[in-house]
Amino acid sequence: MKKRVLPLVILCLSVLIAVGSQTFLSPCVHEDGSFGACHWAGQAMLGLGCLTAVMGLLLLFRPGSRSGLFIAAAAAGVLGTLIPGTLIALCSMSAMRCRAIMQPAMTLLCCLVILAAAAGLILEERKGGRKP
Amino acid sequence: MSAAGLPFKNLTRKPGRTWALVLLTAFLSLSLFAGSVVVMSLQSGLRSLEARLGADIIVVPAAAKTKTDFQNILLQGTTGAFYMDAGLLDQIAAAEGVEKAAPQTFLATLKADCCSSRLQVIGIDQQADFTVQPWIAQSSSRELGPLEVAVGSDISAGVGDTLRIYRQSCPVVARLSPTGTGLDTAVYCSMETMKTLLEAAEEMGVSHKVTSDNAEEVISAVYVKVAEGASVDQVATSLMSHPRWKVAVVQTRSMITDVSDGLAGVASAVKVLIGAVWALSFVILLVVFALLTNERKREFAVLRLIGASRRSLRRLILTETGLVCLLGGCLGIAVGAAVIFLFTALIESALGLPYLTPDGGKIALVAVLSLLGTALMGALASARTAWHLSRVDTGSILREGN
Repeated sequence: MKKRVLPLVILCLSVLIAVGSQTFLSPCVHEDGSFGACHWAGQAMLGLGCLTAVMGLLLLFRPGSRSGLFIAAAAAGVLGTLIPGTLIALCSMSAMRCRAIMQPAMTLLCCLVILAAAAGLILEERKGGRKP
Repeated sequence: MSAAGLPFKNLTRKPGRTWALVLLTAFLSLSLFAGSVVVMSLQSGLRSLEARLGADIIVVPAAAKTKTDFQNILLQGTTGAFYMDAGLLDQIAAAEGVEKAAPQTFLATLKADCCSSRLQVIGIDQQADFTVQPWIAQSSSRELGPLEVAVGSDISAGVGDTLRIYRQSCPVVARLSPTGTGLDTAVYCSMETMKTLLEAAEEMGVSHKVTSDNAEEVISAVYVKVAEGASVDQVATSLMSHPRWKVAVVQTRSMITDVSDGLAGVASAVKVLIGAVWALSFVILLVVFALLTNERKREFAVLRLIGASRRSLRRLILTETGLVCLLGGCLGIAVGAAVIFLFTALIESALGLPYLTPDGGKIALVAVLSLLGTALMGALASARTAWHLSRVDTGSILREGN
């Protein structure tokens, strides 16, 4: 059971990233239906959320390569903190939804993914160290 | 195992109990840290607003519907434009009791290239201005040239970038320091640039004409500094009551008082909330430690039996509490900092008040004080337990167990 806690946390955070990027944490909503660069940051976060969700599922249901998957999840988390604002530009005004809500929320969620993955990796390595 | 390592062992041996206490103390430090930073940010915002307004009276066209529209532009960064004949400037400057008068012209952009929102462009007379110019001077040593703009800190364009405003390319030559007000979301330019932008806007169908025969010279507001010895109220009344001007007058003092009242309300609510959280947490900590007294009687009786002094037992409890408070305090401050600093823009717009995050030194001081406050609360709550447990009657406690 203990082994499943951190993968479950990663899975839940990933779902939040993927679903949130399209709903309650979505980028700016344009009245005329057009969209700017921040829209693509939202799309990228959807993809990243799905990717880490798959990692979470693999960690839950596939016993092998746990350390590698934790490292990959942490790397995906780092990528997630960089996508909105650094790799993909957002709107220029800080009061805009993409910068006031999406970027900080995604940064927070991705940092939590990194922390969970790092904790999982440390536990995994400790367990590995105890093996004869 | 050494006696020094015992508190740590005790905490790791009961992870559930330890984490419950850590979370409770984290909640304490989170409320104190986050609440204090929000209140301090609001206070800095108010001071910044006072410093930035600089004028005693702001004269706007009556069409600006007086204070509300204009106040929203200044405080919340909403866009808006209203115009009056530029000829009024000389008449206002010549009015009795007026020491200085500086015009500003507003233009709300259409969707700029940068984002889906409209930008507020403010044209200033660089020779006469005494409100924005000193602020621009902090970031740029020279005057704004043709089509050059300075941007507020909430616009992410940097020096060297170009903003497209009404199809005009406007190079950014200065990025202004934050004020925590709506002024941070505006773009500033010279009156000459504003004239060009108004003409470009006119070509795109955005009219700024106040009368059909006056397409050239318009202004949106006149910032007035009242002469020393003159009454601000009297000057304001005389400006507003002029029969032909059709202007509204905003006294910056009353605007600041309004903001100050709003700030006092928010600050009181935050303080009550912090007080409630602390009172509740203190009671919970007292109850938890009282329960621990019973749970750990035998453990302490055994320690007494193997030679631990009463004083060392008290120290043991207080060290355990200190470790819990340290971990919980740091956790609470980290969570508080993450939320407060990541969501600054959201908090600012939700409060609708000037909000300027204090500098790093002040924040570090608040963090240290929050940590000390949490440790003090933990020590107070566990002091009674430490005293009781250090005085356990070893014989009777161990006999009870048999």
